[in-house]
Amino acid sequence: MRVRFKLNGTLVEVEVEPHETLLNVLRDGLKIKSVKYGCGVGECGACTVILDGRPVTSCLVMAAKVDGSEVLTPDYIARTELGKRVVDAMLDEGAIQCGYCSPGFLTTIYAAILKGIRDPEAMKRALLGNLCRCTGYVNIMKAVKRLLESL
Amino acid sequence: MYDFIGKRFPRHDGFIKAAGLAEFTFDVEVPGMLYGRIFKSPYAFAKVGRIDTSLAESMGAVVLTPDDVPDVLFNPRLVSIEEDTFKDWRVLTKTPRYVGEPIAAVAAPTEDSAQRALEALRVEFEEVYEPILDPFEATSPGARQIHARIMRGRRWVEVRSNVGAELRYSEGDLEAEERRSSVIVDRRFHVPRRYHAQLEPKGAVCKIEPDGTLTAWTTTQTIHNTKIMISQVYGIPMNRIDVRKVPIGGGFGSGIHTNLVTLIAVGLCLKAGRPVKLVLTREDDMVHDHVSFEFYMRIRAGATREGEITFGEMENTVDMGAHQVQAYPLLGASLGWFVSLYKWRALRYYGRAVYTNKVPSCAIRGYGAPEVTWAVETVVDEMAEELKMDPVEFRLKNYRGRGEIFWGQGPTVRSVIRSDGVPELMAKCSELIEWKKRGDPKSKTGRFRRGIGVGRGFHTSGAGGPLSGAVIDYSGAIVKLNEDGTVDYITALQDHGGGTLDAHAKIIAEELKVPPSRIRIVWSGTATTVYDVCTHASRGVFVGGEAARRAAAEVRRKILEYAARMLDAVNPEALRVTYDKELDDAVIFVEGAPEKRISLGEVARIAWQRNWGSISASVSYRATVAPPSFTVYFVEVEVDTETGVVRPIRVVAGADVGTVISPELAAGQLHGGFAIGWSWATGDEVVYLRDGTPAHRLSMTDYKIPTVLDLPDDENFTVVFASTHEPFGPFGAKGLGESASNPVVAAVANAIYNAIGVRFYEIPITPERILRALKGGG
Amino acid sequence: MLSINLINTYRIPQTFEYYRPRSLREALELLNAIENAKVIAGGTDLVVDLKYRRVTPRALVDVSGLSELKFVKAGDSYVEIGSATTIQELAENGAVRRYLPLLAEAAELFGSWQIRNLATIGGNLCNASPAADTAPPLLAHDAELELASLSGSRVVPLAKFFAGPKKTVLERGEILRSVRVPVHRRRAGWSFIKVARTSFDLAKVSVAVLLSLDGNTVADVRIALGSVAPTPVRARTAEKHITGASFEEAVALAPELVAREIAPIDDVRSTARYRLEVAKTVVRDAMRRAYERFFRVGVEV
Repeated sequence: MRVRFKLNGTLVEVEVEPHETLLNVLRDGLKIKSVKYGCGVGECGACTVILDGRPVTSCLVMAAKVDGSEVLTPDYIARTELGKRVVDAMLDEGAIQCGYCSPGFLTTIYAAILKGIRDPEAMKRALLGNLCRCTGYVNIMKAVKRLLESL
Repeated sequence: MYDFIGKRFPRHDGFIKAAGLAEFTFDVEVPGMLYGRIFKSPYAFAKVGRIDTSLAESMGAVVLTPDDVPDVLFNPRLVSIEEDTFKDWRVLTKTPRYVGEPIAAVAAPTEDSAQRALEALRVEFEEVYEPILDPFEATSPGARQIHARIMRGRRWVEVRSNVGAELRYSEGDLEAEERRSSVIVDRRFHVPRRYHAQLEPKGAVCKIEPDGTLTAWTTTQTIHNTKIMISQVYGIPMNRIDVRKVPIGGGFGSGIHTNLVTLIAVGLCLKAGRPVKLVLTREDDMVHDHVSFEFYMRIRAGATREGEITFGEMENTVDMGAHQVQAYPLLGASLGWFVSLYKWRALRYYGRAVYTNKVPSCAIRGYGAPEVTWAVETVVDEMAEELKMDPVEFRLKNYRGRGEIFWGQGPTVRSVIRSDGVPELMAKCSELIEWKKRGDPKSKTGRFRRGIGVGRGFHTSGAGGPLSGAVIDYSGAIVKLNEDGTVDYITALQDHGGGTLDAHAKIIAEELKVPPSRIRIVWSGTATTVYDVCTHASRGVFVGGEAARRAAAEVRRKILEYAARMLDAVNPEALRVTYDKELDDAVIFVEGAPEKRISLGEVARIAWQRNWGSISASVSYRATVAPPSFTVYFVEVEVDTETGVVRPIRVVAGADVGTVISPELAAGQLHGGFAIGWSWATGDEVVYLRDGTPAHRLSMTDYKIPTVLDLPDDENFTVVFASTHEPFGPFGAKGLGESASNPVVAAVANAIYNAIGVRFYEIPITPERILRALKGGG
Repeated sequence: MLSINLINTYRIPQTFEYYRPRSLREALELLNAIENAKVIAGGTDLVVDLKYRRVTPRALVDVSGLSELKFVKAGDSYVEIGSATTIQELAENGAVRRYLPLLAEAAELFGSWQIRNLATIGGNLCNASPAADTAPPLLAHDAELELASLSGSRVVPLAKFFAGPKKTVLERGEILRSVRVPVHRRRAGWSFIKVARTSFDLAKVSVAVLLSLDGNTVADVRIALGSVAPTPVRARTAEKHITGASFEEAVALAPELVAREIAPIDDVRSTARYRLEVAKTVVRDAMRRAYERFFRVGVEV
């Protein structure tokens, strides 16, 4: 099946198998490795991307469904002005350890800020679907708070 | 006092990790590679007959069966000396002993075709046995032997009653000490198997280079032991293997051994003659080759009326699953944790590791210390209560501290404690949590009850010692000055994420007075580094960091030699080195004649131009001590007595790590240490169904780990560092990774007791168990 | 469980046809024409089932893009919600928040943000999990479902829609078009409470309560529960029994009465015994919170 969608601002057209997920197309087809596989069932959030303005776990999105959509991935988000500020806050507060979950956190935090979330508690609710086994989330939340204060 | 140590610098790999540009094993691609899939045993205990590969092969797949791999028995964990290494593994088996054990593997051009080829394999099972899932059933008379014989080093040993390893130890006159005890507490404890739940599933990518060298990228905590393992199994000379270091998505012990996936990938690669990528899916990872040990402990301990601990006795039955990863050293380490926690005047220990038909157990953060610490700290709390002593004072009176002999990693790794921040931490942390106001459980009423608990523990900094012992433990480092004065730091040591390598960079920076930004941490492989045993035992900063410091010191010595010639100083002793902020470089000058100065960049350039040669150092370092990094946790919880749900309210974590090298990352270890400890205390548990399949149904939907809303945030989490200095550590530093989590379960369990007056001797302390305890019934 | 070699959560280990119809009619035609076709909306349950091979459809018919199924309409006597409305849309929708705060509360506690952005109300109901978070609020509201087929449509009360765990009365060729929630313009307090292992989990027990009072007398009460029976359930006997009682009396009686109407089981998330015990507590908690909200913010539902 041919699928056309806007990926990080550029229109792409790819041939996908009906059983492929967005995660498969991004990682295996388009070689975008910033989208990580962690659990395959939408639990860990490592594969989070922004689909039409909303964060989703790409492991649960059928590839054919994104035809006509817009997708943003962490490698791109990290280069945007807001994305850089998110990354800087994460770096300053020691919010990154093994780093496997970090692109997912970056993506969700970025989407939440764009959506207008400014309250740390609301931000926690937004980040429920991003699991981290290393940090206990403490420095991640410190980074989030620092960022929210600077906005 | 320091220019770089103790200061905050963004970690070197932070941006690439956050942006997703760091290449993990899962992300590695090699042109022309095949994709692998493993045929996993659906039975917990069976005998394989014929494997029909024809259909899969007709589909174009390469198939690897037990007949295609060397008939070599091995232990995937290379840390004990050969004589103490128990070998019972094969790359692929004809006698699967747990659900998930690899029987065969396929490699095909695409992931989908690999899955189809996997499904096209026809594996006949000649026999399917009733699995043995309980270690006490396994040791009862008449139980089927899971292994008839295994190898210890190079000799065969018979396995009796499914006991794979045993250890006995005693010291002092136990009966006499028991007689003078006025309090004796005798308890049995159970700790279940816990899945590491590291975010990245295990995997490997292998390639044969045109010159015949095998290159491998894998999710390992040790590239050199992976190299040795591949060499031992496949007979490839070690200089024909280059295991590359790639970031790993969490370790926690899950990659402490050479995961089977790596050896299978090598087998596929050799047979196919093409590169192979074999990465596990999450459900594969959950039954592959790593899960924590399960402990059944009994502890008897006594104290005099005056509050002096007398004796301690421990029985330790460890359910290690179907194969040994490091069960024998675990028995020694469990004893080591026990012995080194308190000053037992007499002690007796019996430990045994038992085979069952479950996923093989390996270390999980703490390697038995969280489990033993929980049990001991519960008993200690109970003794203090019976003696009507403050539990904090009772601990301070009896813990093993400065000047005492300490052998955390077991009987063969002993040293004397020289730095000890326990009194300082106990005083500061108990005040911060308002320990004296915690109240008595009996005085607490109402539905929501709060309680405060304490847990004290430690971990070793590595497994070094003055004698060689039974454990291999040394590190290596290469520091090289480039022709412009920038520095390359080349090491095999793996950073799980704690920031170990950034700590090393600061150590080198401090030694050379060059800023960390001018030091590049080189991603390297076994071919370009010297041996490092493994990132385990919280040794990264203490042992690896000291290796780096020594290499930097050697480089510094050479820099001064060259600079002395350049500055016309009489000898290098006349020179001093300082960090020049404006130049952002090290500057060497003559003491007393400050106009005689030269930057490091200039020294490097001139040495090159004048053909003086490169400045570099390669160091291999063995630590002669493994000092304890002490930690103290005070935790406040709230228990909903109607639902049994426990919430963390406040955490005060104290750590004696000697000099703190990276404050924000060190604090991160404590935050993360608490998080995993909380998870063990309240939720983590792999339960097996009667057929030997895990009840979590191979999915993280059913194996939950805490979310951001389930843990305290920075406002409720205070970290206190002791002001100590470890004489053997690099700039006075000690380890931290595991001590950060070791006393957490104990503190949480003691806090729950303080809230509701119920002691639990089984973890996790789930809402179901709390409600059952409060409301009775089954 | 199926053989572990047949599972693959990285790439779905089976093939099927995939259709993205442009209209509901086209979707219905596809369903009619293809034997063993499955409707996919958000995919948060179905994609997992495909990876674990719990289902093996010949084709997927994706209705997530159909604007005909994505709407929230607030009428005089009902709020109608298109089945492809996502849970996040529900949680944020003005009409839902105003008229159906009970449903909005459940939507907010549903999964994670990522999951809520995909999962739909229709998918949540058609998947028929006993733990479906939107079911107890909708049961409490006596919601009705409009099931569309090529031969027309039929309306089924939600209470009669679930036929067992993962089973509904949907027939081949039918698609859930919309959920209709009657609005009586009666002042009510509400509460949805969920007990789970972590903050992002399926419920061990969930309880939805809608409560109207006349002074301190219970004028109307609805209690619905999830994860404590083969399907989400209403505790109608308990409701009947406590209507007309004083609130204090009602809250004292309700837990034991509700306990008689549920049949929890042991599973990987919890035990039957725990569920039974905690259901009672949560019923009490939810009633109290609904009571408090009745007086503080009470809305017309």
